[in-house]
Amino acid sequence: MNALLRPNFWTLVAIFTWALLILLLFLPVGSVLTSSFYDRSGQFSLANYAAFFSERRFFTAFVNTLVVGFGGLVGALVLGSIMGFCISRFQIAGSRFVSLLAILALVSPPFIGAYSWIVLFGAGGLVRGMLRDMGITMPPIYGLAGILVVFSLKFYPYVYLLVLGALSNVNRSLEEAAEGLGLTPWQRTLKISFPLILPALSAGGLLALIHAIADFGTPRLLGRGYSTLATEAYAAYSAEVGSNMSMGTTISVILIAVSMIFVLLQRYMSRRNVYHGNMINKPIKIRLRGWKNVLAHVAVYGIGLCGALPVIISVIYSFRRTSGPVFQDGFAFQSYERIIFNLGDVVRNSLTFSGASVLLIVVIGTLIGCLVARRTTLSTSLLDGAFMIPYVMPGIVIGIAYIAAFNTGPVVLTGTATIIVLSIFIRRLPYTVRTTASALRQISPSMEEAAVSLGYSPFRAFMRVTVPLIVPGIIAGGMLSFVTAINELSSSLVLYVGSTMTMPVRIYLLILDGDFGVAAALATILLAISGVAVYIAFRFLGRNEQALL
Amino acid sequence: MSYLEVRNAIKKFGPNFTALDGVSVAVERGEFFTLLGPSGCGKTTLLRAIAGFNDLTSGEISLDGADLRAVPPHRRDIGMVFQDYAIFPHLTVFDNVAFGLKPRKVPAAEVKTRVTQALAAVRLEAMVDRLPAAMSGGQQQRIGLARAMVINPRLLLMDEPLSNLDAKLRVELREEIRDIQKQVDIATIYVTHDQEEALAISDRICVMSAGHIEQIGTPQEIYGDPQTRFVAGFVGTLNTLAPGAATDLLVKALGLTPSATTGWAVRPENLGLAGGAISGEQLPGTVKKYTYLGREAHLQVTTAVGDLVIHVSNPSRTEILAAGAATTVVIPRDGLMAFGADGKRIAGR
Repeated sequence: MNALLRPNFWTLVAIFTWALLILLLFLPVGSVLTSSFYDRSGQFSLANYAAFFSERRFFTAFVNTLVVGFGGLVGALVLGSIMGFCISRFQIAGSRFVSLLAILALVSPPFIGAYSWIVLFGAGGLVRGMLRDMGITMPPIYGLAGILVVFSLKFYPYVYLLVLGALSNVNRSLEEAAEGLGLTPWQRTLKISFPLILPALSAGGLLALIHAIADFGTPRLLGRGYSTLATEAYAAYSAEVGSNMSMGTTISVILIAVSMIFVLLQRYMSRRNVYHGNMINKPIKIRLRGWKNVLAHVAVYGIGLCGALPVIISVIYSFRRTSGPVFQDGFAFQSYERIIFNLGDVVRNSLTFSGASVLLIVVIGTLIGCLVARRTTLSTSLLDGAFMIPYVMPGIVIGIAYIAAFNTGPVVLTGTATIIVLSIFIRRLPYTVRTTASALRQISPSMEEAAVSLGYSPFRAFMRVTVPLIVPGIIAGGMLSFVTAINELSSSLVLYVGSTMTMPVRIYLLILDGDFGVAAALATILLAISGVAVYIAFRFLGRNEQALL
Repeated sequence: MSYLEVRNAIKKFGPNFTALDGVSVAVERGEFFTLLGPSGCGKTTLLRAIAGFNDLTSGEISLDGADLRAVPPHRRDIGMVFQDYAIFPHLTVFDNVAFGLKPRKVPAAEVKTRVTQALAAVRLEAMVDRLPAAMSGGQQQRIGLARAMVINPRLLLMDEPLSNLDAKLRVELREEIRDIQKQVDIATIYVTHDQEEALAISDRICVMSAGHIEQIGTPQEIYGDPQTRFVAGFVGTLNTLAPGAATDLLVKALGLTPSATTGWAVRPENLGLAGGAISGEQLPGTVKKYTYLGREAHLQVTTAVGDLVIHVSNPSRTEILAAGAATTVVIPRDGLMAFGADGKRIAGR
């Protein structure tokens, strides 16, 4: 049989993948790009860009975006590396509990954090009020300071988990060798450990930076006029009067460009810094004594609890008695009752949308992952690169791009559930493709060859040997995608209509309405679902917090 | 006709790289046949072509008279042992070994006896229900061997099975492989880059370099009577005499005819020192390095024909030759080997 005449299965997968990328990524993003070059009357012009760079308002938003991005980056780096260093090097009582706190911070939607901090430190905040009674006045948390506090505490787990992994893998002999050469502990840390964990630091910092730049909920709720590119894009899109789609797309393009620059910068920075340690000498954990021990515990638990505070506040407030949107003394299930009676469809929407997108992600992502890992051609290398694009794409941009692309023309999807499912699908697909590909690359090809030599056809060998080895990873990856999908706010906020409202959107709107009881209850349900998914993932992966990133 | 025959095998990767350049080998029933050569010489490519994982660009392979290239790899009934063991980590030791019996539809009771026998042969019967993840490299490769043997394959292929093990285990396991192979009497093709391993284990050795065969022969023929300069240099150590007047003089003194196109070489153990058991032409020199190894001593001596390495067996415990000491090297007539400009051995020399 001539192999050339038969359409090869993998060739079909490659064609399908390219079609998918063109339809769901290149066309929408392309239409964003192009529509930013047209004015309202449909004439080609650079007026939008001229307006962007000349109007003070947009320039401020641009600077603000960089400020919150780097502020979040610095905050996350400081908190994350302190925690990672303490947990990996010192004996900390209950260190697994601390990791759990970090995971809680990671899987909770950021705008919940923003609101919980308002509850505590806002104009009428709980803690602020208590302090005022004691005679201490502090400014309310609104504005830049508040945003940076929330970002630092929300995004530190990225740095923490990566640094923890890197520090636990630094060969102890290296530090002992440095000690033998007469370096002081401080010099040792600076000259040996620091360069070794630099790739982890920059990768964690980049994640914090990209998420901070893309985050929309936090500056919206806490900013009080402190605008970023994400909020300006949403404002341009959603303005009741004079919605300015082309300005929205212009801001989106600039937002993509900013994210892209930082991703490339981080890749360039960590390009040479890959160290492969042998793991003969695992680092040991020192038992600290006296005030140092107290200090380490205070730091670790302080960061962990502050990061998880929004979650804790939400859970507590979800059980508080309410009268309408106003909290009363005592506890009750009123908020949950209101969800059951009024908001059942929102929960159902969230579950079905996330479930559907995760199903698509797992099936298609696994196929593409196999393609990328096992058939290395020019086309698959390009595919690998193309999958970087959704990774740097802020959710708000995907949302606007989908509106721009599917509002008119051959396929009209605006207002459907499909558009929300697809937007989640394309954003999370790269993660599954990457994890599948890297899982496959770790399985030696001789494993399948062994099965073939023992009498299994190549297809049966794949099913009997490779699939059982990668399935736990795929299920775990699917569960983690589910967590991201169900917590997704920014693209759904642009894409939803009344009937396709999801839990994060509803929570956001409830917070804007001041109905925090129901918002807290809904957030608690969201957290519980996320928690179950994370638990299942850990059951399949073994406990591997880094998979959450 | 031999049991396994490879005729004129050619394998090209891309337009510019030829991994196999017209290779022909024949292996008999029950024979232990080793492909020996440096990395990139094509030995693994040939093995994988026989297994069916990479087909040849052109050439013929036949097993027991039937064309093998027409048979897909999973129907070839050829057992294979891999360099990285390729043990299935999600299956127990028993299930790993029984894996190849399932597609052969062997009844359950027979599976149990055959797997038990195979595991006993590799001395792993106590670990039947263990998962292989925590087992040592040596144990994993034993599983690999049992798994390949249990299907009673028509041919056994081994791709550098010992190269990931430590030196002591390597020697131990190669003896076991040799014993088991003789017991079950199965034609085996073994790939290695380790000349000592090849000499110890093989009935015949095929030395390869750059995609072609240098020499096929018994271990004694390969080591004692190498047909090319490559074989002489790859298997064992070789002193090459520096071309020039001093070498020509020495060759003449030994009653041989020097020529501009002939290169002369001699193995270290065929050289001696004055006053030793070896007799021949004497050549003054200066000791550059003396290494005492107990059973032997290795000397590096600077002479008129270049630096020579000399292996002296049972060296004296008191006579230590320090660097810089003067000494006399003895070169016997039958120790010299002559190679033509094409690298081929000149007959009888």
